[in-house]
Amino acid sequence: MKRYLDFYLTNMKTAVLVEFQYRWANYFYMIGMIAEPVIYLVVWSTVAEAQGGQVGGYTAGSFAAYYIVWTLVRNMNIVFTPYGWEERIQRGRLSMELLRPIHPLHNDVAFFAGWKLVVIVLWLPLAAFLAWIFKPTLQPSLLEVGVFFIAIWGAYLIRTMALSLLGMITFWTTRVSAIFEMYFAAELVLSGRLVPMSLMPEWVQRLAGFLPFQWTFGYPIESLIGALTPGELIGGLGMQALWIGIGILLVNVVWRFGIRRFSAVGN
Amino acid sequence: MAKIPSLLVVFQRKNKHLPKPIPIIHVARLSKHYQVPVREAGLRQAARALIQRQHRTVKAVDEISFFIHPGEVVGFLGPNGAGKTTTLKMLSGLLHPTSGQVRVLGYEPHRRQRAFLEQITLVMGNRNQLAWDLPALDSFELQRAIYGIPEHEYRQRRDEFIALLDLQDLVHKPVRNLSLGERMKMEIVGALLHRPQVLFLDEPTIGLDVTMQRRIRTFISEYNRRYGASVMLTSHYMADVEALCKRVIVIHHGRILYDGDLSGLVERFSAYKTINLTLKNGPVSLEQYGEVVSQEGSNASLRVPKSETSRITSRLLTEQAVADLTVVDPPIEDVIETVFNQQAEAA
Amino acid sequence: MRLLSLAYTYLRVGILNELQYRVNFFIQILQSLIALVVGLIGLWLVFDHTTDLNGWTQPELLAVMGVFILMGGLIRAAIQPNMMRLLDDVQQGTLDFALTKPVDAQVIVSVREFRLWQVVDVILGLGVVVAAVLRLESRFTLPDLLGFLIALALGGVMIYCFWLMLTSTAFWIIRVYELVNLFEGLYAAGRWPVSIYPNWLRFGLTFLIPVAFAVTVPAEALTGRLTPLTLLGAGLLAAGLFLLARLVWRLGVRNYSGASA
Repeated sequence: MKRYLDFYLTNMKTAVLVEFQYRWANYFYMIGMIAEPVIYLVVWSTVAEAQGGQVGGYTAGSFAAYYIVWTLVRNMNIVFTPYGWEERIQRGRLSMELLRPIHPLHNDVAFFAGWKLVVIVLWLPLAAFLAWIFKPTLQPSLLEVGVFFIAIWGAYLIRTMALSLLGMITFWTTRVSAIFEMYFAAELVLSGRLVPMSLMPEWVQRLAGFLPFQWTFGYPIESLIGALTPGELIGGLGMQALWIGIGILLVNVVWRFGIRRFSAVGN
Repeated sequence: MAKIPSLLVVFQRKNKHLPKPIPIIHVARLSKHYQVPVREAGLRQAARALIQRQHRTVKAVDEISFFIHPGEVVGFLGPNGAGKTTTLKMLSGLLHPTSGQVRVLGYEPHRRQRAFLEQITLVMGNRNQLAWDLPALDSFELQRAIYGIPEHEYRQRRDEFIALLDLQDLVHKPVRNLSLGERMKMEIVGALLHRPQVLFLDEPTIGLDVTMQRRIRTFISEYNRRYGASVMLTSHYMADVEALCKRVIVIHHGRILYDGDLSGLVERFSAYKTINLTLKNGPVSLEQYGEVVSQEGSNASLRVPKSETSRITSRLLTEQAVADLTVVDPPIEDVIETVFNQQAEAA
Repeated sequence: MRLLSLAYTYLRVGILNELQYRVNFFIQILQSLIALVVGLIGLWLVFDHTTDLNGWTQPELLAVMGVFILMGGLIRAAIQPNMMRLLDDVQQGTLDFALTKPVDAQVIVSVREFRLWQVVDVILGLGVVVAAVLRLESRFTLPDLLGFLIALALGGVMIYCFWLMLTSTAFWIIRVYELVNLFEGLYAAGRWPVSIYPNWLRFGLTFLIPVAFAVTVPAEALTGRLTPLTLLGAGLLAAGLFLLARLVWRLGVRNYSGASA
């Protein structure tokens, strides 16, 4: 246990050092990324105003809160991409990782977790700027803030598991970009990334209830902007834990089969 | 223990220098076969292949057997595609054997148990493990955490290796700013920090200049001497092999052609010797004596069958005005090339 | 004339090259369809809650989306790959090959790459435009079509100039990946008419990154909103941007030669 802690801390430190060197590149990336929620925000604020100030329970101010918190949650959601799996399997980088006496997934989780620390620091001035422009209505309680800080890491872990599963498809076949894109499209619509889930038709919301997506986007955002009751706040953390558990289970099973195939074929 | 093929017993007896007969690596009738799709040219064939793929079995490694003892440094030779890397990958646990047995340090490598992985290392000359944008020191720190090396041991070894390879001034520079050779030295330090007992080195000096190659060789041999680790090394540079390995295993088309002393290899496979001579009276035709490898002015070089050497030498001395004459074994590169060529013709 | 034939030669090589990878064609179709469906869902969601967006009706916004997809396909087929290669060349010092050819180097670096399969988006975008125009209430006339084509061409030129300036100046600070991400993020704003954005953003999307001229203005032509004055302004701005881009490119090259010497 102590050994894992040491590994995680050292790896996170490494990530911080690397990504801080690339702070400008990271910043440009964030600026490019912020265009997306700003567009959603403008469109939906316009709709809200046309509808007499509010739509689906959201005003221009609460839309602003939603989409500004969105930017942090989106950053927390960036994990090792499935395209990276394709590359690491084909270029043989995975081989070297397999020879370490520690599971390669620990490496992914630790490195990106370290990166998040840099991201959060870089994000703060951007958030302040967006808040100054769009005037969000945001008065979180202490409980909401607490839940939010746990929920963004929960979101990070769920998405890590989901995208690792997706990436591991490349153990069996390449040219999977269409599958990846389909996943991302489904995620966009069913997670609360495109619009708050309450703006979706009933049946879509019901469908999303059976899927992991909303626990990685909508739930952490809503937990901070005051859209959830205390019961929903805590229950949501439970749902996240459940999906993390399912994710770890599936990742382990698929990993075992994938590695069997990998060590039969080699690369 | 598995039944030892008789061939190996012979080699073992020949290798009298072996310290103790307890092998650290034990390979018996090890094979690795791959199924590769047969590709045919043409659109129609390609379309048919989509539905029904034709496969063909390639025997990358075909029933090889050998032992390696603690502290031995063994050169693993063979042309590209001979099965060297496949074998190293099976020994280090990256590939699952198709059949046969492997034991390294008493473990089955492909199970990749932690205790096993903590005692081995694999260095590939064309792959790097160190973080590109950071000083090597930070990557070493990560290795420490990965292998759970106690702090004081880590510091002591790190500083020892850094001193041995003369890297004091470079460990604080980002790895991306290092030369290829400096980077390779760092890679090797990183790969040995956990003090592995078994080293698999796949072309560790590839692309490096001669000085750097020598430096890395000295280090490997020093590590082997200090810690009694076993080393399996593949290299295209015979200088590496000659400097480090008493014993070589030659593999070709997935089979072992030779396993024994390096000197024995030349003895065994070179059917020819080279006669270098200087003539007193300018160029003459020497074709009647043997194969003329080169002839420039009064200097000439002849290749003759080993058994004929003394007869041809005396004929030359009597029939020609010879100023100088030497008989030499062909260079090891040429011997190896001959071995592979002969094998290719036989196959 | 010589430049045209040069461009044609590169185009031909690019197409032949891409034809070798036919699987990519099907993957591209799938990906384009996924993107289209997502776009339609977004549009449909908006009109599930309102009847018009800042004066634009649903079929009109469909037209905007069509132009957005069409122009996006053009950019990714012909402009972006060239600029990415240019950036690679500058960073790795291999631009010399282009600079030592006996033709205007700007032309060479602008025509070397062509991604044939991105044309799927151009066709798909055109399809969406046609579908939208058929559903419009106003009549679509020949001058409208003409205005649309001219506006489209001018928009393309402006995007090209923007990319060239970005590549010529920014290479020392960012990596290719971030640059593409930055551009695509900003271009995505074109999915909606720029008039819905707050003033400062609208200004940026019009004059800093010419998304307004690339997507909104052609879409205005389709929906009968285009005034001759806007078109004239677009023409003048395109010409101005072209001259500016050429100047920046020249300075960039001088800088590059100075740095590598």
